[in-house]
This record gives sequence, C-alpha cells and structure tokens, in this order.
Amino acid sequence: MSVEETGYPPFPAGETLLARTPDRARPDQGGAAEPLLEVTDLRVQFRRGGRRVNAVNGLSYRLPAGRMLAIIGESGSGKSVSVRALMGLLPETATITGSARFDGSELVGLPEPEMRGRRGADIAMVFQDPTRSLNPTMKIGLQITEAVRAHADMDRNAARDRAIELLQLVKLPVPERRLVEYPHQLSGGMRQRVMIAIALAAEPRLLIADEATTALDVTTQAQIMELLLELQERLGMAVLMISHDLGLAATYAEDVIVMYAGRAVEYAPAGTLFEHVRMPYTQALLGAIPRLDREPHAPMPSTPGQAPDLTALPAGCPFAPRCTSADEQCADEPPFAEHEPGHWWACWHPVRDGA
Amino acid sequence: MTTTAPPDPRESRVLSRVLGSPSVRLIGKRVLMAVPIILGVSILTFWVLSLIPGNAAQQVLGPDATAAQVRALEQELGLDQPAVTRYLDWLGGAVQGDLGNSLISGQPVSGELGSRLAVTGELVGLAFVISIGLAVPVALLAAYKPNRLVDRISMVVSITGLSVANYVLALLLVLVFAVQMTVFPAIGFVPLSEGVGANLHSLALPAAAIAFPLFCFYTRFLRGDLVDQMQGEDYIVTARAKGIGPWRVLLRHAFRNSSFGLITVVGLNLGTLIGSTVIIEQIFALPGIGQLLLQAINTRDFIVVQACVVVFAIIAVLANLVADLLYAVLDPRIRYGSR
Ligand SMILES: Nc1ncnc2c1ncn2[C@@H]1O[C@H](COP(=O)(O)OP(=O)(O)OP(=O)(O)O)[C@@H](O)[C@H]1O
Ligand code: SF4
Ligand SMILES: [Mg+2]
Repeated sequence: MSVEETGYPPFPAGETLLARTPDRARPDQGGAAEPLLEVTDLRVQFRRGGRRVNAVNGLSYRLPAGRMLAIIGESGSGKSVSVRALMGLLPETATITGSARFDGSELVGLPEPEMRGRRGADIAMVFQDPTRSLNPTMKIGLQITEAVRAHADMDRNAARDRAIELLQLVKLPVPERRLVEYPHQLSGGMRQRVMIAIALAAEPRLLIADEATTALDVTTQAQIMELLLELQERLGMAVLMISHDLGLAATYAEDVIVMYAGRAVEYAPAGTLFEHVRMPYTQALLGAIPRLDREPHAPMPSTPGQAPDLTALPAGCPFAPRCTSADEQCADEPPFAEHEPGHWWACWHPVRDGA
Repeated sequence: MTTTAPPDPRESRVLSRVLGSPSVRLIGKRVLMAVPIILGVSILTFWVLSLIPGNAAQQVLGPDATAAQVRALEQELGLDQPAVTRYLDWLGGAVQGDLGNSLISGQPVSGELGSRLAVTGELVGLAFVISIGLAVPVALLAAYKPNRLVDRISMVVSITGLSVANYVLALLLVLVFAVQMTVFPAIGFVPLSEGVGANLHSLALPAAAIAFPLFCFYTRFLRGDLVDQMQGEDYIVTARAKGIGPWRVLLRHAFRNSSFGLITVVGLNLGTLIGSTVIIEQIFALPGIGQLLLQAINTRDFIVVQACVVVFAIIAVLANLVADLLYAVLDPRIRYGSR
C-alpha cells in the first residue's frame, strides 16, 4: 500500500460476517417498483472448436435502482460472462439469448452502435486487475477524458476539469498530478480508483464491479469497497458486485445471488442468505453455516468435487454429482422459485436451519 | 599551490542523472557492443576472402600473365604478406579513418563509397517507406474485422509474398512492368540531381522488389499483434466499456501498443533489408554498395570488400540502436525506467 492511501478509514477491525449485514439490509424495494435491471432466462453459449460451451444457462434476477447486489459462485460459474453479456462485451463467438431489460428497454440483441451509446453511460464496469485494465502506454488523464468525452460534447479543458472532479470523487490525492502520470506510476489501489473514476465518467446508473478488489491487499480491498458503498449512496447508483469473497458480499451487498453452472441457485437478502442457507451448494461454499468467528475476508473455500463440464451439462440438478443430499428426484431439474418470502432457491432438498 | 574547486553537487547530480538515464546508458552499451561486432565481421570477411582461390593480382593481370608477373604485382600490393599481417595493416588504417585504396583501380575506397552509399541509402529508404507506409493501413483494415474480406485478401497476398524470393519477384516485376508494359526501366539509375521524378522512376521497380516481402512481413506481424491485443487484452475491454468507437479503440489503444512491437521487428529486420540490396542492385544495375561489393568479390579486391562489409555492419548496428532508442523514447514504461 502506498503512503498516499493511508488516511482512509480502515476496515473496522474485528467486525464479523453477520454483524454488519442487518443494518445494510433495507426493506425490499424489488416487489412493486420497476427494477432498474431485470434479467430473465439469460443464456450465453460460446462456440469453441467444434464444441459449445454453455457458460450461462437461464440466469434470472432483478436489481432495483440504487441497490447493491452481489453475485457469488466458484470460478467458471459464469459470473463474468453474464455481466459482460449485458454490455455487449463478449467476443463474436458468443450467442446470447433470453432477456435483460435495463430501465425497461431490452439489451439482448441490441445493435452494436446503440449498445455503444449505452456502454459507460447507462452501465459501467470496473474489472478485476487494475494493472491490466488500464492502458499502460497512455496517461491517466487521457484515459479518463476519453471516457468523459465519449458521451458528452465537451472540449479538452472542460473534460480535464471533469477528470479532476472524478479523481476527487474517488478520493485520489493530488488529482492534477495524476492526470499526467502513467498507470505504472500508481499503486494497485490508486489504479483501481482510477478505474472507478473512468467508470463514473458518464454518470452510469449501474456500476458493475467484477471482482474489483480481488487483486488488492486486504486493507486496500476494504477501502475500495467503502468507496463503492459511499458512491452508491451518494450518486444513487445501483451496484452489481461480483466476488469470490463471501465475507465481502455479506458485508457490503444488500442482496446476494449464488451462481452455479451458469444459473442462479439461491437468491436472498444478504442477512437471510447467510443465516438461513437453503442450497447445499451455498452451504458447501460457506464451508459450514456461517459462524461469527469466521474471518470476514476469507477466500472462498474450495468445494469438493469437479466443477461441471459446461459442454455437456447433465439433465436435472447440475450440482447433483457433488451433492451429499442428492437422490433420484434430483434427476429432474429443481425449479428456481421463491420458497420463502424474498428467498429463492433451486433445490429439492433444501438445508434446514441449524443443520 | 593549486586549489581545485570542490565539484558543484548540483552539477554532478544533473550529470549523473543524464548519464544514468536509460537512453544514455543504452547508447553507451550499444556503442561498446558495436566495436566487437564490427571487428568480428571484418575478421570473418578477411578470413573467408583468404579461403577463396585467386587474388587481385591475378585478376588485374588476366589469365595470360606469367607467374613471375603475378608474383611481382603481389609484392607490390602486399599480397605476399601473411593474412594476419595484411589484416592488421588494414585495421591500422581503418581505425584512423583510412579504408585504403582499391587493389584494382588504386583509387581511395572512401571516395567511391560516398556516392554509392547515397544510391543504396535512397533505395533502402524508399523500400522502407513503401513497406511501412502500406503495411500499417492494410494491417489496421485487416484487424478491424478479422477473418473478413480485407483480412483474408491481405493474408493470401502476404503469404504469397513471403514465399517468393525477392530476386524472383524482381525478375517478375521487370518482365511485367519493363518488358511488357514498358512503364518503368528495367535497369539503370538516374541520380537525384537530374530530377526527383526521373530518379524515383528509375528506382521504382528495385524499391518495390525489396519493399514487397517486407510489406508482407510487417502486415502479417502487425495484423497478428493487433488482433491479439484486441481479443486478449483487458485494457481493450476497458476502452470498449467506455463506449468509444471501434476505430478509436483500434487506433488509440491497440495500435499504440502494437507499434512498440513493430518498431522492434522493423529494427531487427533492417539487416535483411540492407542485405537484400546486394542482389537487387545487381539485377537492376544500380551503382550502389551492394553492386560494388559483388564486383569487388569477383576481382578479389579485399580492400573494397572490407570497406563495404564494415559499412553494412555499421549501418545495421546503427539501425538497431535507432529502433531501440525510439522504443525507449516512445514507451513510457521504459522511459520512466520501471521495466
Ligand atoms: N470467450 C470464451 N470462449 C469460450 N468459453 C468461454 C469464453 N469466456 C468464458 N468462457 C467459459 O465460460 C465459463 C464461465 O466463465 P466466467 O469467466 O464467466 O467465469 P467466472 O464465474 O467469472 O469465473 P472467475 O471467478 O474465475 O472469474 C468458463 O467455463 C469459461 O471457460
Ligand atoms: S436438487 Fe438435489 S442434487 Fe441439487 S442441490 Fe438440491 S439436493 Fe442436491
Ligand atoms: Mg470472472
């Protein structure tokens, strides 16, 4: 961590997984109001060699405006692919079907020029590795003003002023100096702040953070999450955070989706999910029922068994080969449904409380 | 008593910063490396020449000369000395800037080199500008839509171009443009002093023959690197996620980064470029260094051969140095000494 980065509130020490979640959870706004983002039966298939990789298989969720939703799931479960599909950032080998409505208008199948107009302006994204995500040969200033000017008719000076404003917004000290620096002259945390500034350039209503803190050390990670939280509240943005880190999701997100083999298998407000786990897969991810003495930022425990083969998914519950509760019924696909108020899951034999 | 003023600390700091700057260190290292390279090349040339049967004395006197005549001329030219002595002799002059006199004509080599360097230099420069000037836009168009029409055509053309030797290409060009269409001369050189148009006209075919394989090579390289950047680099995704246009992503982001690789490749390739002038000058009867070199080898005029080879070596070393410096100046990661 660099000297410049001290002075931000450190992550409160000793805070546990569940201690923070209740006051983050707000009354459910998803019911009556039109959600900002509504994803329905989203599917993404890649052509690779002669084979078809089913990366996303009928993913559905809703994200109300101004809320923070976390998507968790093990590596390869389709988290990144599903959000890149929303922004039209997948390679040409991808076929996207289903529906993703942003503020009532459909994103799937949107022609590229229209999609381009929405990228950054409606939905912006911050990526995992700020070192690789910034152009190494371009000054920070140009990388930000380029994003500003993509959606606003602004001259150089106005764009520069706006870039300084954005760097102040993400709390990067001495913004004027940063503008003329190159990414390698900044620390990892500072680079990620620059990435966030770029993402905020056109005032998006949805910010997607795809493992935005995974590459950072724990202290910097907490600072970046606190920043995202503050920005979410200040700018009234919705945030979709993708994480490997259950503790991080539980601490910051209001709602959590658990993905497995390209679909949602459990969905609930963060507090509910971690207190009343229903899906055996989620339970396996947690290692056990969440305990208060768990480290808040422990990495996702690896689940026993093989990750599913996305080129040949079995019929029925995709988790069955690894599930200890599996039986004959699991050969039929369990429906993803709201079994308890606000709590959705897809499983024939849900885990009971205290089990 | 003499008092030496203490060195101004500010001055020495500036000095050490300049001397310690990556570019200056690079130049220093390269100049030091160039010495053994050029020395090695000249020794090797000398050695190979001493293995070829026949010498300049026989060449001058012709096949009818008696053994005694040949021996007398050998003595006069110093050819009876052992090879090591002759080399050291030559080297002694060369380090003082005296490249010696031609064994055949007796004229100083440096005079001849100057005018021929201009011809070869123009040919190389022209071929260089043509190949890069065409490769960059074609590669950009091909990478803009990979595997589409432009890309496929450029792929076929460049693979063909890379598999045809440039002397074959030269002969084809002569056949088509000089013999059949008679739009360009088959041989000969018109100096710049007689008009730019006429000069370029006389160099068009030889420059094209050298430029075409290079164009193919640079196009392939740049297109491949651009596509790799566009499909594999995270910062490209960031750029696209900003909502900027596809051309801007390609030019501002991918090309900017690919250009560093291109500079390196071009630098490494300059040796080949210079080498190809030897045969092309021969085919088109251009009075350049390459032609001089071949003539000198035929007449066993090792003084002239040495001069040509050393000039080629110096040019190749300088070209690589320029490419590296350009790289260092353009790439901020190197400019700021972080890598
Ligand atoms: N361009 C592509 N072509 C073919 N398959 C792909 C492509 N991109 C991703 N996939 C596959 O899609 C699946 C989901 O990938 P994705 O990147 O969404 O996983 P993830 O959940 O984000 O994992 P991680 O936690 O490792 O980031 C993986 O099996 C991956 O191999
Ligand atoms: S449906 Fe069956 S196999 Fe799937 S998670 Fe539930 S119990 Fe396990
Ligand atoms: Mg991912």
